[in-house]
Amino acid sequence: MGQNRAFPDHAVNPAIATLVLILSAALLFVAPLLPAIVELRLKRDAQPLNVIQQYGGDIRHFAQGFRKIAVELHPQLQECVASSATAIGTLPDGDEYVLLGGAGESYLVAATKLDSTWRSVVAAGTDLALPDGLTFAKEIYAVGDLTGGERSTFRAILGDKDIHLQRGSKVIRWAHAARIFRADHDCDLFGRISADQEIQLQSGCVFQRMGAPMIVLGFSDTSASQSPSRSMNAAADATPAPAGRTLYDGDLEVRAGEVIPGSIVTRGKLHIGAGAHVLGSVKSNGHLTIDAGVSVDGSLLSATTTHVGPNCRIGGPVLAEQGVSIECGTHCGAADNPTTVAAPTIELEEGVVVFGSLWARNEGRVVPKA
Amino acid sequence: MIYCLFTIVFVISVYTARHYWFTLNRLFGVQRHPYIDTDTANWPQVTILVAAHNEEKVVANILSALMSVNYPSDRMLVVPVNDRSTDRTREIIDSFVEQFPGRIRPFHRTGGKGGKAAALKDAMELVETEAILIFDADYIPGSGLIKQLVAPFFDPEVGGVMGRVVPLNVGTNLLTRLLDLERSGGYQVDQQARMNLHLVPQHGGTVAGVRLSALREIGGWNENSLTEDTDLTYRLLLNGWQTVYQNRSECYEEVPENWPVRIRQIMRWAKGHNQALAAYGLYLLFGKHRATFRERIDGTLLLGVYAMAPVTLVGWLLALGVFYEGIVPLHGIIALFAFTAYAAVGNFAAFFEIAAAVRLDYTRRRICLLPFLVLGFAVSIFSVSRAFVSQVLAPITGAQFHWDKTERFRTTP
Repeated sequence: MGQNRAFPDHAVNPAIATLVLILSAALLFVAPLLPAIVELRLKRDAQPLNVIQQYGGDIRHFAQGFRKIAVELHPQLQECVASSATAIGTLPDGDEYVLLGGAGESYLVAATKLDSTWRSVVAAGTDLALPDGLTFAKEIYAVGDLTGGERSTFRAILGDKDIHLQRGSKVIRWAHAARIFRADHDCDLFGRISADQEIQLQSGCVFQRMGAPMIVLGFSDTSASQSPSRSMNAAADATPAPAGRTLYDGDLEVRAGEVIPGSIVTRGKLHIGAGAHVLGSVKSNGHLTIDAGVSVDGSLLSATTTHVGPNCRIGGPVLAEQGVSIECGTHCGAADNPTTVAAPTIELEEGVVVFGSLWARNEGRVVPKA
Repeated sequence: MIYCLFTIVFVISVYTARHYWFTLNRLFGVQRHPYIDTDTANWPQVTILVAAHNEEKVVANILSALMSVNYPSDRMLVVPVNDRSTDRTREIIDSFVEQFPGRIRPFHRTGGKGGKAAALKDAMELVETEAILIFDADYIPGSGLIKQLVAPFFDPEVGGVMGRVVPLNVGTNLLTRLLDLERSGGYQVDQQARMNLHLVPQHGGTVAGVRLSALREIGGWNENSLTEDTDLTYRLLLNGWQTVYQNRSECYEEVPENWPVRIRQIMRWAKGHNQALAAYGLYLLFGKHRATFRERIDGTLLLGVYAMAPVTLVGWLLALGVFYEGIVPLHGIIALFAFTAYAAVGNFAAFFEIAAAVRLDYTRRRICLLPFLVLGFAVSIFSVSRAFVSQVLAPITGAQFHWDKTERFRTTP
C-alpha cells in the first residue's frame, strides 16, 4: 500500500500492517472454530443417539400402556357397575374420565346433545353400545363388548372382549380387542389395530398396521374362521430354503404345476404358473406374479410389486418394496405359522386370510371380490 | 507428471461426485427398508457369535443384553467365542453359562492362529443354524435387534446383513465426538444410500449376520484377512449373494478414546481393505461373476477408499511439483475456475455428508464440531498412507501382518 502510494508513507507502519494482516487472517481461520470450541467445552449435544433399547416393536405397545391406566380404574368401575351409577374424575396426567356403570348409551346421548365430540376418557364396566356419529377425542375402554355407532370417530379403543365398529367409522391412533375386532364396510383404521384372537374387516376398509392370530377380510365368508389352516408341511417351519437356491439373471417363468425343490431368485420379472409348488422361498427383483392355486412354503419377496392370484398358500412373509395385491381365497401363513404381509400399499380382496401381521406404510385397503 | 496429476484429480472427482450422490439420495431419494416391517414370523433358529479376546470389561454387558432380547429363547443360541483370553473373560462367560443353562454354549479357544476371522472359523464347529449373527463383545444389543437382523434372511437373495453402529461413549473427549460424527456419516448416509441405490452395503463384521449356506458356498471365513468383514462382503458379492443394510437396526458400541488406539484401528482397517482390493479389485471390475454392473462400479470404488489416502498425498506432491516446474496445465482462467469450484464443492463433500447425517439423526449442536474433522481427516490420511506404505514394503522388509485388538475403556462391568 505504501509502495504504490495509495497511502502516505507515514500513515501506515509496515510492522503494524503486517501484524494486523496476520491477526486478521488468524481471526478468519479461528472464527469457524469458535462454535466448535464452545460445543466441545459445554457438551450441549454430547449424548449418544437415542437408541430405544427396550422397545420390541410390539403392535400392542400403546394398548398395554393404556391398560395400566384402565386397571387402576377397575375398583371404582366395579362400584359403578354394582350401583349402575356414573362417576367422573381426573387422571394423574390431568385428563378427565367418566366411568359408566350401566346405561352408558343414554348417558352419552344426553351429554352430547349439543356437541357430538366427547372430550374425556370413557371407561365402561359392562357392554357398551354407542350412538351414531360421535367423536371420542380421548381413549375409550370397555370391560364388556363394545359396539360403535355408524360414522363414529375414535382416538383409541381398548376392549376386554369384542370391538365392533359400524360402517364408516374411524380409528385415529390404535385399537385393541382381547377377543375379536370387527369393522364393517368403509371404516378408516389408521395406526395400530390388534386383537388377541381375530380381526375381521369388510370391503372398503382402509388400514395401516394390524396384528392378530388371524385376520379375515370379508367376514361374511366364515369358512376361514371355522377351519383355520395349518402349515402346509414341515418345511414351512424352517425359514431357510430346504434345497439351496437358484439365481436367474433375467426374467423367469415357472410352468403351471411345476414343483421347485428349493428357493428361486430372479434379477428380472417372475411369473409362477397356476398350481405350481415352491418348496423354498421366492424373490424377484422385478414384478412378481403368482397365478391361482400356487403354494410357496417359504417367503415371497419383490423389489417392486407382487400380485398373488386366488386360492394360493404362502408360508412365510410376503414383502414387496412398492405394493402387494392378493386375490380371494389366498392364505398367508397359518395358525401355527404366523407371518407378515408388508408393503407401502396393500390391496386385499374379500376372502383373503392373513395369520399374523399386515403392515401398509402408505395405505392398505380391502376390496370386494372381483 | 501432469498426466499423473490429471488422473489423480479425475479419481478424486469421482469420489467427490459419489459423496454428493449419496448425500442427496439420503436427503431427497426413496429410502429402502424392505425387511424392517417383518414383526411376526415363524422365527428361525439363530446362532449369535460374540467375539471376545480379553474382554473382561465388557463381555458381561453383552451377554446380559442378549439374555433379555425379544426373540424366542428356544430358537436362539449364544456362542461366546473366547479367543485365547488371558484375563477374566472365561470366568465371566462361564458364570453366565451356569446362570442361563442351555442358552449359552461357550467356545473357549486356547491356541491357534490369532485374529477374529480365525477364531470365528474355529467356532463354526458349534454352528448348525442357517442364520448366524455376529457381535463384538463391546456392543449392547437392544430388545428388538435380533429379530430385525434375522428378518432379511427370509429373503433367499440375502447372504449377509449389517446393522447400524452407534457410539455410546460420545461425550468423553474430542476424539470420541469426532468418531461419533464419522460413524453418523458412514452409516446414516453412506451405507443407507448404497442400500437405497442397490449398490454394495458393506458387512461390518459386528451387529451383522451371515447365512450359513452362503458362507459355506464362498469357502467360510478367510483367516488370512485382517478385515474379515470386507473380505466377506466381496466374496458374497462375487457369488451373487446380497449384503443388506438395516439403518434402523441400531446397536451401541464403544469407540476408541485415545489417538494411538484409533490410529492402530484405522491402520488395521486400511490394511485389511487394501488386502481385499488386491485380492478382488480387478476381478470384481472385469471378471465373470454374479455382480451387476452398478455393483461392480460401486464395489470397486468402495474397495479403493483406503487407497485414496496415499493417492491424495501423491496428488498434493505432484501439484507442488507442477507449480515449481512452471507447467501451466490449462488456460489460466479455466484452472482458476476449476480450483475455485473444487475448493467450494469438492473439499467439502465428506463434510456435507456428515452434516446431512447429523440432520437426519435429528441432532443439532454437534454439527458445530464439523471444522474439527479436519484434524481427524489429517490423522487418517497419514495413518492410512503409512499403513499402505508398510504393506507395499512388507515383501522387502519381511514384516508380518498381525491383528491389533482394539482396547476397551468401559469402567463399569
